[in-house]
Amino acid sequence: MFQYEKKLQYPINIKTTDPKLASLIITQYGGPDGELGASLRYLSQRFAMPYPELKALLTDIGTEELGHLEMIGTIVYQLTRNLTEKDIKTAGFDSYFVDHTSGVYPTSASGMSYTAAQMQSKGDVLADLHEDLAAEQKARTTYDNILRFCSDNPDVRDAIKFLRQREVVHYQRFGEGLRIAQDRLNSKNFYAFNPSFDIPK
Amino acid sequence: MSNEQEMLLRRLSGAQFAAWETHMYLDTHPNDTVALEANRKYHAKAMELRKEYESKYGPLNHGDTYGDARFEWVKDPWPWERTGN
Repeated sequence: MFQYEKKLQYPINIKTTDPKLASLIITQYGGPDGELGASLRYLSQRFAMPYPELKALLTDIGTEELGHLEMIGTIVYQLTRNLTEKDIKTAGFDSYFVDHTSGVYPTSASGMSYTAAQMQSKGDVLADLHEDLAAEQKARTTYDNILRFCSDNPDVRDAIKFLRQREVVHYQRFGEGLRIAQDRLNSKNFYAFNPSFDIPK
Repeated sequence: MSNEQEMLLRRLSGAQFAAWETHMYLDTHPNDTVALEANRKYHAKAMELRKEYESKYGPLNHGDTYGDARFEWVKDPWPWERTGN
């Protein structure tokens, strides 16, 4: 089960609003490499994980991603407080405003609503862990890209740097998870396929 | 949020983060006794700070209460609000 903790994983206190920046950062809420997709991916894939270390890892990282989803929502919310008529007409925020006003909605920066079609739960330990490693790298790249747009907003930059670092750490843990999986598969399994579905135990 | 509350929340988050990071490391290194020892130390510290924070500023989890007559859970601010962290 899940329980809510009434605090953020990392503090966010943004003094200067910036709706245009919000319309870019929203991509980590509902975009292709966002935190919603990440948590749904790991929390779904864990059911098919064969080893206890991997069940723990997917559960824990999937749970942390939900905390990151809350952080991204918080950044977007705080960046779009008390907007003026001029603010909402800022290039880059007007189209978001027409659809969602200042509500936080899972969408990518380029305007595509959240879709689970961008992730997989393959039921194959090697296929899934490789997707997870790639997902962490893609999310890290997205944060690198976001950082290019927030050099003059240190409050946002600080929180985004924390989230970027978490992608790097998760990538390390998934790498160790993949090694655990490969070590426990048949030692002749040089070509990295998962025999668990076809070969009876 | 007062400076004092903010400081305590920061210390709590720091201890929780250290506990969480060692916890996740142990997922893939469950036999590392040094990491396990560190994890227990950080976890104990986080629990202690959490108890102190909740007794002063209200519950962080739905089941936590410290004898206040009011239903503290619904109190503002919520974590996404600027004054909430």
